[in-house]
Amino acid sequence: MRKKPRFHSLKKLKIRQDWSRWSLYSIARLAQPNTISRTYFQQKWTAKSDTRAYHGEQIREKKWKRLFKRSLPAVVPMDHRYLARHDGSEQAAGRGAGVDEEGKKQTPRMTPYMQMTYYPIERRLDSAIFRSLFASSVRQARQFVVHGLVTVNGKKIPYPGYMLNPGDMFQVDTESVMFATGAQKIRSSVARKIAAEKKAARGDTSGSAPAPREPTIAELISQSTTTSETPSHTSLKTQLQTLMENVEDVLGTEVSAKDKQKFREFRQNVKKAISLWKTASPESVTTLDAQFTFLQDQLAAKRDPSSTQPADTSLSQDDAAKLKKAFERLKQQAEYDAQWNKRDASRPYLTPWRPRDFMSAFAFIPRYLEVNQNICAAVYLRHPVARPGLAEVPTPFPYETGQLAFNWYLRRR
Amino acid sequence: MPPRLHSPNLASALTSCTSAWSQCIAQPTRISREFSQTSCQQVTARRRRFYEWINGPGAALRQPLPGSTNYLGAYDRYGNLVRASPGYQRRSKDQPKTEGEESKPDDTEAKAEEEEAPSGQDTIDELEMAVRRDEESARKTKSKEDAQRLAPETAEDLRPFPQNKFFRSQRVLSEDLREAIYQRVTKDGVTVSLASVEFGVSNERVGAVVRLKQVEKEWVAQGKKLALPYAKAVLDMLPTTPYVDPSLPENKGKRPITHEAINDLIVHPATRQQLFVPVAESRQFTRVDAGKAFDNNLLPADDRIPHPELVLAEREMATGLSFEERRRLAEERLAAEQEKKRREEEARLAELRAQKVVPKRRWDFVFKDVSVEHAGKDGRGVKGVGWRYGMPHEDRKKGQVKIPTKVKA
Repeated sequence: MRKKPRFHSLKKLKIRQDWSRWSLYSIARLAQPNTISRTYFQQKWTAKSDTRAYHGEQIREKKWKRLFKRSLPAVVPMDHRYLARHDGSEQAAGRGAGVDEEGKKQTPRMTPYMQMTYYPIERRLDSAIFRSLFASSVRQARQFVVHGLVTVNGKKIPYPGYMLNPGDMFQVDTESVMFATGAQKIRSSVARKIAAEKKAARGDTSGSAPAPREPTIAELISQSTTTSETPSHTSLKTQLQTLMENVEDVLGTEVSAKDKQKFREFRQNVKKAISLWKTASPESVTTLDAQFTFLQDQLAAKRDPSSTQPADTSLSQDDAAKLKKAFERLKQQAEYDAQWNKRDASRPYLTPWRPRDFMSAFAFIPRYLEVNQNICAAVYLRHPVARPGLAEVPTPFPYETGQLAFNWYLRRR
Repeated sequence: MPPRLHSPNLASALTSCTSAWSQCIAQPTRISREFSQTSCQQVTARRRRFYEWINGPGAALRQPLPGSTNYLGAYDRYGNLVRASPGYQRRSKDQPKTEGEESKPDDTEAKAEEEEAPSGQDTIDELEMAVRRDEESARKTKSKEDAQRLAPETAEDLRPFPQNKFFRSQRVLSEDLREAIYQRVTKDGVTVSLASVEFGVSNERVGAVVRLKQVEKEWVAQGKKLALPYAKAVLDMLPTTPYVDPSLPENKGKRPITHEAINDLIVHPATRQQLFVPVAESRQFTRVDAGKAFDNNLLPADDRIPHPELVLAEREMATGLSFEERRRLAEERLAAEQEKKRREEEARLAELRAQKVVPKRRWDFVFKDVSVEHAGKDGRGVKGVGWRYGMPHEDRKKGQVKIPTKVKA
């Protein structure tokens, strides 16, 4: 049997959809196709084989042939001021092709249709994941999908060939994204342990890293954040309760002795408000801001019937400030927790996290995707289009190669 | 399978062949690996060249450039950053960057994009503003670090694939801008199209940003861990559109930087062909007529762009209507639109109410009115329900794809 060719071969340089140094090298070595000494068929064949090694290399040729479309999408940016002031008849003025204006002859830029040959592949779920920088190669993106780490509109879709529709939101597990895009771990934990033991045996203490210091905020409210998979009604409530318990710790140091009484009252009120939590529907209290306004409303409602003293209004303002502060703390803490890029041997990637080598050379997000990196989710806005001077399908090949590849698939059609 | 050997009879057969054949097989003899199947273990010339490139010109691409993009197109073949001034030295990672450096590339880069982006929104005064802003910041930060500072990226520098002249890394929304869009839409209750015009971001993108931000806020409320180190690193590598906060005193009079062209007209398939339509010279042949000539149902560009209300407003201004008049007309339009939206929503709710839902332990049963006629003549109509006698399902046939074509949001 013939030996399967290498995926990254230096003998036959092929560009692959991944962030490897071989791909980078191949992109750097890429040249214009030889159109002088080769037949048209040879040129087309080479163009097809080179582009297919990059675009949808994981798809069988027959499947791609069925996906191929000869009509390629394009848009033209319009100026609304021009549209408002002209009705189009000026283009037929003069002798039928518009009145000549001296010096203002400006030919519109070419729309690179031929770089759009592979636009149907960009619609695939695995390609879209790779294009939104959630995986370091299409094959890895495909694996994420198959392993059930990807949801489309909140539903698990295990099909890498799922064709995204405009408006679909896909989400990848954040840990997997960090693993895919992060620098690789050099050694296993066992090997690192052995190395540490050896170092200890040698009595070498100079190289040991100082233990990372836990932040104070994280210590204070570490109990308040519990990772809950299901955003349920009760979990929100319990979370708020723990928060309120911690409010005392957080604010107790800052509150002077005179305010202690006020503060105790405030806590009781908050507790009452929390007990009223059930009246709220889970949709209305999903975000922190919503939670905050809900609590504020509840407090105000509590206070209104019993408002006998004028001091109460100022107190409620005080309370509101405190509550706001507590929520700010919670928010900060959540951010801090994630941002504090701590060393963690249990992670499958190198910690503290840093992007993998050569990632920056491949880091671009095409305009047909809108990505939120914080939650590792993206929305497929529309199909990729060509516009004057710009094609949205990311392809490393020159325009001539694109033309030849398009012509290869055009035949018999 | 046994290893491939040079068969002696093949060689003998070839000796009797023509001279052209013998030329083909004339190869330099390899002494050491006559029977070996493993590929060459020594360092080949190709591999040496590869490592030379990776450790030489390619070494600059290994780590991201702090505060800038780092694409292959920004380097020459010897690995020198083209836009760097002669005294430029690449900073190490831990070295802190100055504030002037951080803010500078964004502004000027926006200007560079503005010049070439054929957006419907880009205006002369915005360009001027950006230029003035540039000069100001340049004067502010004109110091000893002149040589250290990187010039903003040109279109050439934003090319990840140097051979493809028609692709470049386009800017993405910065974190502040996303937050601002979310606040504008949710807190101020602004319509999507208005927010789109205000921020210079397309309609779909505004919707997507709000949707994603909503999920992000829910995650924060639930205490889920965000991928912040990743987000920070990625946004640092990408060119971003900065947010011009109008509430800040130093941004007074500045307009938001346009992110993308918002009035994109889709090229209709009917307009792909070339038409020759003889028209009387006396006739006023407008866009509407041109559309009709291509296809009877093809609307003119004024109605097919995403923001036709901008054209209307501009047209009213051109006709010389007073401000009050224009405002009244705009309000009328808005009211009509809201009325239409309300009616659609009502119809949707009425349809939902008409359904009978029986909740069960695991699934809810939903009863809908269907017609037998939906199955059609051949019993395979898309809207048809149930199974018809004598019409076997096709879903077990060869070549039937089971991948869903849509997922309900």
